[in-house]
Formats: sequence, C-alpha cells, structure tokens
Amino acid sequence: MWETLEVVLIYSFVLGSIYLLISLGFSIICGVLRIFHLGYAYLFTLTVYLTWMFMKEFGLGLIPSLLGMVVVQFLISYAIYKGIIMKYVAREEIILTGLLLLSIVVEQAVNYRYPIQAGVFIQTTLIDGASEIGSAVISNQLIVGAVVALLLTVLFIFFFLKTRVGLAIRALSQDIYSSRLIGIHVEGLYTLTMFLILIPVIVGTLIVAPVWAVDPTMGSLYMTTAILVAILGGLGNIKGTIIASYLIGFTHSFVSFVLGEPRFMNFSALLLVIIILMVRPQGIAKSEALW
Amino acid sequence: MVDVEVKRDRIIIRYKGKKWDWILEPRYWRNTLIWTAFLVLFPIVAYFVNPILLNTIISANLYAAIAIPLALMTVGTGRMNFGPNFFIGIGGYTAALLSIAYGWGPIATFPFAVVASLISALLFSPLVIVARGLYYVLLTLLLPLVFMEITFIYTDIFKGDVGLAGIQTLVHSGSVKLNFLLAAFISMFLMLFYLWVVNKVLKSRYGLIMAAINDGEEVAHGIGVNINKVKILAFVFASGMIGVIGWFYAHYFGTFAGITYLPLNFMIKILLVIFIGGRAQVFGCVAGGYFIAFLEMILIVTMGPIQPVVFAVILTVLLFALPEGLFGLYRKRRYREYMPTLHVRR
Repeated sequence: MWETLEVVLIYSFVLGSIYLLISLGFSIICGVLRIFHLGYAYLFTLTVYLTWMFMKEFGLGLIPSLLGMVVVQFLISYAIYKGIIMKYVAREEIILTGLLLLSIVVEQAVNYRYPIQAGVFIQTTLIDGASEIGSAVISNQLIVGAVVALLLTVLFIFFFLKTRVGLAIRALSQDIYSSRLIGIHVEGLYTLTMFLILIPVIVGTLIVAPVWAVDPTMGSLYMTTAILVAILGGLGNIKGTIIASYLIGFTHSFVSFVLGEPRFMNFSALLLVIIILMVRPQGIAKSEALW
Repeated sequence: MVDVEVKRDRIIIRYKGKKWDWILEPRYWRNTLIWTAFLVLFPIVAYFVNPILLNTIISANLYAAIAIPLALMTVGTGRMNFGPNFFIGIGGYTAALLSIAYGWGPIATFPFAVVASLISALLFSPLVIVARGLYYVLLTLLLPLVFMEITFIYTDIFKGDVGLAGIQTLVHSGSVKLNFLLAAFISMFLMLFYLWVVNKVLKSRYGLIMAAINDGEEVAHGIGVNINKVKILAFVFASGMIGVIGWFYAHYFGTFAGITYLPLNFMIKILLVIFIGGRAQVFGCVAGGYFIAFLEMILIVTMGPIQPVVFAVILTVLLFALPEGLFGLYRKRRYREYMPTLHVRR
C-alpha cells in the first residue's frame, strides 16, 4: 500500500512537472493575449523536426542545429503574431481556426517529408539510464526534466513578479486599454510574449524527445495536455497552471499505478476537468490575471 | 375549421388560431428551385459522364449536412462547438455495432443511432450552460479526441484504427454504379431536408429567440427568454441531426473507424465548410461543402502524396481571404439575411 502510494506521489511530481513545462507557454499566451493558441501543437513538432532537418539536410551538428531551430521558431512566431494574431484579434473564430489549420499544415508537411518510418531521433539525453527513488524506478532524463521545469517556472514567476517588463505584461493581461493609457508598448510586449512561450516548449520537447515517442503528430498529444491544464488551472493564471499540472500528473499516476489502467490517462483527466468545471466554472484560479 | 385564403403572392391557411403561409410569388422561390434542380441533376449527369464524381457529391452533401445543424447549434447556443464530429462517432458506432451484432439493416439501426446521439447530447448539454467562451471551445474540441482514445482502449468493441467492418450497406440494387447514384440521392435528400428544417427554424419565432441569444445572452434573458432551455434544445436537436450523418457513413461505406471522423483533420474540414461557406449561413454551408469536397478530390487526383499539405495551405489562404465566406460574395449583392455572429470568447 505504502509502496504504491510512494510510486504514485513520485510519478505525480515528475509527470506534473513535465506537464507544467508543456503547458506553461499555452497558459501564458492565454493569460496575456487572451486567445487560445490552437496552433500550439506545431511548436513541439517543429522543435524536433527542424533540428533534425538542420542535422540531416545541412549536415550540421546538434548544437548549431538547435540554434538554427530556435531562430526559425522565433521568426515563425513573429510572422504568426504579425500576420494572424495582430490582424484578426477581434475575430476569434478566424484566429482559432487559422492557427489550428496552420498546425495541420505543419503536421502534414512534416509527415510528407519525414514520415514516421524516417526514424527521426535527436540525441538530447542529458543523463542516461534510470534511478530508483523509493519504490519507483524512473528515467533520469525525466527527473532532469522535472527539475528543469521547476527552475524554469520559478524564473518565469520571478520575471513576471520582480521585473518592470513582467509588471507591464501583468498589467496588459488585466486591461489592455488602461495599459495603453499608461504608456505600455502593447504590440512590443505581445511579441515578447510570443517569444517567451517558446522557451518552455523548446526546453520541454528537447528533454522528453529521447524518452517519449517522436512522430509528426506528437504536437497534438502535448497540446491536449496543455489544453486540459489551461482549462483546469483557470485560463492563463500561472498559479492555477502549476496546481492543475500536478493534479493531472496525480490523476495520470493514480490511474496507471492504483487502477492499473494507463490507457485511461487522458480520459480520467478530462473527467477531472469536467467535474471541477461543474463546481468552479472559472477553473482552479481566477483567470483575470496572470498571477 | 380550416380557413384557406388565397392572396396574390401566397396561400394562407388558418386552423385554431394558427397560421401557415405558402408563398407563391416566384421571386421568393425561384433561386431555391434553380439551385435544387441543379443539385438534383448533378448526380444524374455524373452517373453518365464520370461515376467517380458520385462519391465526391456524396461527401459534399454529407459535409454540408453536418455543417447545417452545426450552424443552428452555433446560433442557438451562442457558442462555437469545435467538436461536432463527436456525434458522428456516436451515431456511426451505434449503427455499426448494432448492424454487426444483430445483422440489422440501415432502417432498423436508424432510430437507435438517433436516440444514442440525442442521449449523449443531453448528457453533455450542461456544457452549454456551465462552460463559457473559450472553455466551451476547448472542452468540445477535446470530446472527440477522448472518444477516439476510448475506441483505442476498447479495441475488442471498437476495433481501434482498423474499425468495424461487415455493416449492412445502405442500398443493394445489384449494380455498384446504381448504388452510388442512390446513395448520392439519399445524401442529397438528407442535406436538403436539413437545409429546409434549419432554415425554417431560423426564420421562425424560435429562430428569432436564438438570434437574440446569439447576439446577447443577458439581453435575451432580460426580455424573458428561457435561455438555458433554448440552448439545450438547440444543442441536443442539432447533435441528433449530426449523429444521423454518422449512421449514414457507417451504412454507406459498410465500415466505420473513429480514426477517420474523430481527429482534428476531419473536424477542421467541417469548421471550414462553415467558415468558407459563409460564416454559419445555412445556404453557405452547401456552397462550402461542395467547394471543400471538390477541392479535395481535384487535389488528390492532381497532387498525389503532397495533397494534404496543399489542401491545408489553400484552405488557410481562403479562410483569411474570404472574410464572409463564399456566401458573403452573394450576400454583398443581396443583403437580406440575418448574419449570425460567431462567438468564441464571450
């Protein structure tokens, strides 16, 4: 009994931290821009496949390929912000469908060039092997991922709470018109936010890529988790996102290790979200502010 | 007593304080008649010229037949459902499982597919009340994805990505070509019937109430509309209609796999039928359905394996290039229809 509980708690922490890394960007963009980035899935796919493309097509090493990938991701994010989000901010249905379509374009293009049989693999393992913590045996890479997730989240919180730019972004997340009145450069901060969300996504994908499956549709799976966390946490609230990530991590661990049915992981998470929404329609935390 | 009054432009029938109008004036039904005649003649021409087109016509009719009730749902609930394909899955799997288990034909499975869709819609209908704006979008987006996962979990029942096979087919005329023609007419009847019903509903008093909810829930509540009742009715009724299309798919192909209808790729096609057709305009859904089905077919024939990429790129461009959809081009010249607002964030 105690052993099972120990395994559940350890995996709740590790999975919750990884989910936090995956969902942080989605929540921040929800909180600041007040839109759903339904193209969020392509960020994960591009992280892996752009790196692979630079390595295979241009014969670059891992580090230059990663740098190339980061530059391209930043350029794409900028183009999407300028071309879609900024232009159609009042037409939510266009933004949502357009971003979703874009994610499908990327997925299909990747699938055309590098289908699953291409055996894409990027060697971003930081610590090989597995460790035994209590009764749980867990991949070292995932433990590193959990620690990095916590560090990155702390950095983000510090940035939003203790810096002037962070303060301005928080003001923007609360009221765009008042922010403009007090001289905040709204467009500049929106662009910065689009860039900021790339950090957890890229770091998270590179950490889990050697451990979890890599295929052209991988982004949809991660986006599903990010959506669940964002809804549960209370759209765009970082506190809520942290709690929701661990709650979903716990649900997944519980279903896998106590009920012995890992196939029900996503289903159980959706049920949890629906039940919590029935009780608190605004999610765990209020979504009016980023923090 | 039935009272019939014949006027210059219409026949009015009155019975126990109720009134029905039958419009005779040609300018009111001329365009409808021309387009209906064109749609009905199209499969016949295709049958003799190029029977392969019949399959595309059926797809077009079905896309439109899914989009039309979705437009009703969008107006009636004041929200954008991003997972209508969930009900295709419910209707399709109900028909498929019953047909395989008991050897039932399409007529026998039809009521069960409808009832299953209605019950599942009723179960999820609280979403239209508790989940607002973006929450609703995301939850509806997740529903078909979770359902797809369930089909993979219970492979003994749903047969995973292989799907269920051995379902009784819709028509057996002895000739494959004729089967396709008959299926094209059944799908067209279904689509035109939906068009007629939804158009009637939207133009009725209930349509006005739905438009009020779509434009402002608080205002509609303020003027005495029972918004929860109307939203649940619109959601359940439209979901039942979408479920019927799942039944059609199951019996038309004789196989049914959730992986074909439940992923984002299929859902986005339906949303684009609505957007490119004419932003939840019911007549625009027909234009959108035909446009997307034929574009897809042409690209498959001409482009080969790169077709999914080109198809998605063209649709992305059109989404941004046609702000009011294909129907908007027509509407610019004839401004008379109520244009519902699509609400996502509210």
